[in-house]
Amino acid sequence: MQRFPHNECVSESSALGLLRMSDKAESPTETQKDEPSTPQQPTEDSGMADDKKKIDVLLKAVGDTPIMKTKKWSVEKGRTVQSLSQFISRFLKMEANEQLFIYVNQSFSPSPDQEVGVLFQCFGSDGKLVLHYCKSQAWG
Amino acid sequence: MSSCFLDEETFCQCCQLLLQHSHSLCDGWSWEQVKGSEEGYLRKTALGTGRTRCNLDQQGNSSDQHQERTFSLSFHNDDEDDDGAVCCIQEESSSSSVVQYEYHILYSCSYQTPVLYFRASTLEGRSLCLEEVWDSVHPNYRQRLQHRPWDTITQQEHPLLGQSFFVLHPCRTEEFMMPVLKAALDEHRQVNYIVTWLSVVGPVVGLDVPLSYCTQVPEPPHTPSSSPQPPSSSPQPPSSSPQPPSSSPQPPSSSPQPPALGTKPG
Repeated sequence: MQRFPHNECVSESSALGLLRMSDKAESPTETQKDEPSTPQQPTEDSGMADDKKKIDVLLKAVGDTPIMKTKKWSVEKGRTVQSLSQFISRFLKMEANEQLFIYVNQSFSPSPDQEVGVLFQCFGSDGKLVLHYCKSQAWG
Repeated sequence: MSSCFLDEETFCQCCQLLLQHSHSLCDGWSWEQVKGSEEGYLRKTALGTGRTRCNLDQQGNSSDQHQERTFSLSFHNDDEDDDGAVCCIQEESSSSSVVQYEYHILYSCSYQTPVLYFRASTLEGRSLCLEEVWDSVHPNYRQRLQHRPWDTITQQEHPLLGQSFFVLHPCRTEEFMMPVLKAALDEHRQVNYIVTWLSVVGPVVGLDVPLSYCTQVPEPPHTPSSSPQPPSSSPQPPSSSPQPPSSSPQPPSSSPQPPALGTKPG
């Protein structure tokens, strides 16, 4: 996989937000060209990322839910689904009355406390974990 | 049968399959038959955590450790408040504590979906109040709940037991079930509606659904009346016969249902 130094990754702030669980993670303002075959993999320390501690997550939008410009993320195995959900919610600038749902295998929702690394072990394929997400105003 | 809804027989079949897996895990689910009725529901008790109110002194301070001050809607009269407001926002002190939960999965004929009812009490036996239950919702869903709590979890009379339970509103079940059902339809596969549904609603109220349910519990037998339909097509099932082949004639969903699950071999 290609690695991009910090200053060349246009979604750096949001990517680092995911990696560092920063509450101040912002959505990228630049338009990023989506290259499915070349995943963005920003690193916390340039060239020092340990692949064994991170897994690749591919995010796919469902229905009318906005599509994230960056779909492929490198996520620490210990990150929870909730953490990822919060990140996507901020990325999509969701409002208080909206709820994000995440699906594995398009057949169930993982618990928010579930670690993505465990999901990857059980449901990962082709070296990545595919998660579908859906924005909804469920619960009334 | 519309796209995202569940008929009662399929509900029972899905519950039975979930139950079998629960037995293999000793996960605690049981099927409860209502006396003198064909109806039943899944039941499970479990210990979890919740936020319960602790005792406050006159200054509103609590001696309990690990307390967190939360703002919540309070619907009782405050005698010290000159306004005599019925509804006011008060600063409450709550702490994380062990809560005894009792979960029931019922079928709703009117919504044609499963519905999650539950009770919650402290280990001392005190029932949690509605506000405490709202405070205990998993943080992942709390913001959405706080936006409109009355639309999410309220207290209602249990349809079969007549007792007061908390209930997670089913009116938007279709919205979160739709992505899964549509994908299953597109890929010519089925899902276990109850397992999928429970994986979404369970964690909201502290009910853990082990991952193995999502991989080990099979789907119910495919029947025309239970197959999901594309939203744009006719609501009628494609088969000319609305009767599922494996059971006795299917009465309307509001009528008594086929024999109890308990008669089936475990």
